[in-house]
Amino acid sequence: MVAPLEGLHVLDLGWLMVGPISARYLTDLGAETIKLESGRRKDPLRSMAPFKDGERGAERSVVYHMINAGKRSLAMDIRSPAGREVVLRLVEWADVLIESFSPGMIDRMGYSYRELSTINPRLIMVSTGILGRTGPYGLGTSGTGITGSAFAGATALLGWPDREPKGPSGPWTDSVAPRFVVSSILAALHRRETSGTGCYIDVAQAECGLQFLLPAFAECSAHQRPMERQGRAGSPLRCPSGIFPCKGEDRWIAIDASDSASWLALKNVVGAPASNPDFDTLIGRLRRRQDIETIIGEWTRSQDPHGLEARLQGLQIAAHVVCNATDLAEDSDLKHYGHYHRVVDPVIGEFTVTGPQFRLTATPHLPARPGPRIGDAADEILSSICGLSEGDIAKLKTNGILG
Amino acid sequence: MLHDVRVLEISAPETMLAGQILGDLGADVITIEPPAGAAGRRIEPFLDGVPGLERSLTWLALNRNKKAVTLDLNSHDGRDVFRALVERADIVIEAEGGASIKDLLPGQVIHCPIASFSRGGPKAQYRATDLVVMAASGAPTLAGDPDRPPLFFPIAQAMMEAGAEAAVAALAALSARDRKGVSQSAEVTARVAALLGALGQAVAGSSGDRVPSRDDRATRRIPSVYACRDGFMLISVSLNPALAHLAKGLAEWVVELGHFPRNLVEIEWSGLDALLDSGALPASFPDDLVSAVAKACETRTKAELMAVAHARGFMAAPVNTMADIGSFEQFHERGLFAQTTIQGDGREILVPLRFAQFSDYSMELRHPAPLLSQHTSEVFGEWIGLSRTEVQALFVHGVI
Repeated sequence: MVAPLEGLHVLDLGWLMVGPISARYLTDLGAETIKLESGRRKDPLRSMAPFKDGERGAERSVVYHMINAGKRSLAMDIRSPAGREVVLRLVEWADVLIESFSPGMIDRMGYSYRELSTINPRLIMVSTGILGRTGPYGLGTSGTGITGSAFAGATALLGWPDREPKGPSGPWTDSVAPRFVVSSILAALHRRETSGTGCYIDVAQAECGLQFLLPAFAECSAHQRPMERQGRAGSPLRCPSGIFPCKGEDRWIAIDASDSASWLALKNVVGAPASNPDFDTLIGRLRRRQDIETIIGEWTRSQDPHGLEARLQGLQIAAHVVCNATDLAEDSDLKHYGHYHRVVDPVIGEFTVTGPQFRLTATPHLPARPGPRIGDAADEILSSICGLSEGDIAKLKTNGILG
Repeated sequence: MLHDVRVLEISAPETMLAGQILGDLGADVITIEPPAGAAGRRIEPFLDGVPGLERSLTWLALNRNKKAVTLDLNSHDGRDVFRALVERADIVIEAEGGASIKDLLPGQVIHCPIASFSRGGPKAQYRATDLVVMAASGAPTLAGDPDRPPLFFPIAQAMMEAGAEAAVAALAALSARDRKGVSQSAEVTARVAALLGALGQAVAGSSGDRVPSRDDRATRRIPSVYACRDGFMLISVSLNPALAHLAKGLAEWVVELGHFPRNLVEIEWSGLDALLDSGALPASFPDDLVSAVAKACETRTKAELMAVAHARGFMAAPVNTMADIGSFEQFHERGLFAQTTIQGDGREILVPLRFAQFSDYSMELRHPAPLLSQHTSEVFGEWIGLSRTEVQALFVHGVI
């Protein structure tokens, strides 16, 4: 039961999220992945919350492990001549190379696709950036998923009409883009089976984010009027459909009981306040939306969200707690799925990471593993992959190229 | 890229983006709908706010590069046609809960089923709307101001998360077939797919670290959206030491404009957090910087501010509306857009097609979103050799 990408070699020069998340997909699928990093300019993800036991520290990030699970690390100065020799040997070894430096930087470092493909014509090289490498603003635009989300149109769509746009709470395009990066890589690998050659792939996070918002774009393109932020959750064409307050601090439940059968079931449990016959038809409910939402909100407000979810779903009414991090960690569905895995790391000990994003029934993903300590596999990578002797490796260390 | 790959997509909201991504990458994608039309055609927004099976802008946006056929998969004859079609297919994508076709799949086909919650689990029978799956994902929970409900997107997102994940899953299974000679099921669970959007929150609850809330005063949160002359600008000021040089560029700009004192920017930016903690910088420093930036933004347009940010290397982006995106020079010059005419309507629209640029392959708009049953005769003829008479017979019997 061998994993699909067993035997594939990936060189991950990415940092933060998009490149590394994409590389993790391939690693989970069995690829051997080297995280090539700099000891001097460490991946900021290594020191990003959440931390193990809440202790801040350069190597205590749990989300770092979630995103870099299963990789091995080599840390060195890739701009030095001695470092370059090592990089070029790794390029010979690699099937896929992913980089997310500021657009154009990889070329200035002497690692353009044109150079690397000469050394390895089978190489599939991916550059990810906010706006990509072409266009008037491609090169020189650095950013994170926060700016990516603004370029993509997501930020403008999230907020209340009477307030400024707020946008998603985190770097949204960081989670969207990897699906498009990985699809592109896997498609290129499929083609390489017959063509024997690789290619260069230039991905803009903003353009990927836009793919999740295409209905809004299509609407504006057809009507020449942009979709506006609406604040409230749920479709204006369904009632009731939205999120309602529950007992506790910032606790909410999503409920959709817009179809007839669901409304009748909901009305039954809510009782007298919902029994107005005006509410029994869809049109009636749409016209009395405010009243209905107030009634439901007053009913849910004093209730525990999990109990409410179970009760409503028991009646076949679509409902779910709006999950916070604690809800996710304790969720019965995720537990059944087996999405969380305990792994051990030499510095932070035992902790939990997520498993892969989907399942294959006959060639399963590799088990979840922690991410690498910085430079943890330097010796084995340099000797067994790059063919360096112990003496060569020692020289790299004394010359400050490693680490 | 995928020109030799044939995909049957049994249309559901969650499958649409999956089929589209594979079609964009060159696969031959057939979307199969019930004779009365797929559920995806009943998703708003609608052209001119008037609903109809050919008027859903969601359908239009998520079904490019596909051909469409109809088939009643609950009927004996429909299943028979499907069985013949699937012999010629490499990949079948479906959402669970539709017509049961699993037993019709030959061993060599890659099956990509999408469920909402864990199969066989405590929530397997849950009624799952898009809103409900997104609530379960953890992604919206921290969005927006704490004095109001958390913010959800005004367009369905669980179907996007599931669809994009399914494209990856199908291609991973294709890799397994290419490299290991094995065909199999690639199972997607929408809730797990959407969980990626929660990023670190997925592991925060078990980390032992404090779980963040929207009301956090503990984290220094610097506002990032600024009103400008023609909308809003997002300017990111991060206290993360690795990104501090970007904040420096911003600060130097507002100093030059006279909105901020020079002596306060001649500091070690990578140690900003420590300087604030120790009192070496006044506690009002972040607020004062924000006020200065706000003042600078008020009188400038998004385009002007973007040019400044680009020239000075600080992290900023226009808060693009969909209208801004349609006229964004960067996207146009990069070749993101194709153009098409809405079938049956005649209006021309832009299509943000090229989600990736390849050195030796260009994604093209081979088919606009199809009309209902548009390719039934063509596909049934080409793939399985049905005659025109036979297709007509299926129609009069309501099988298509």
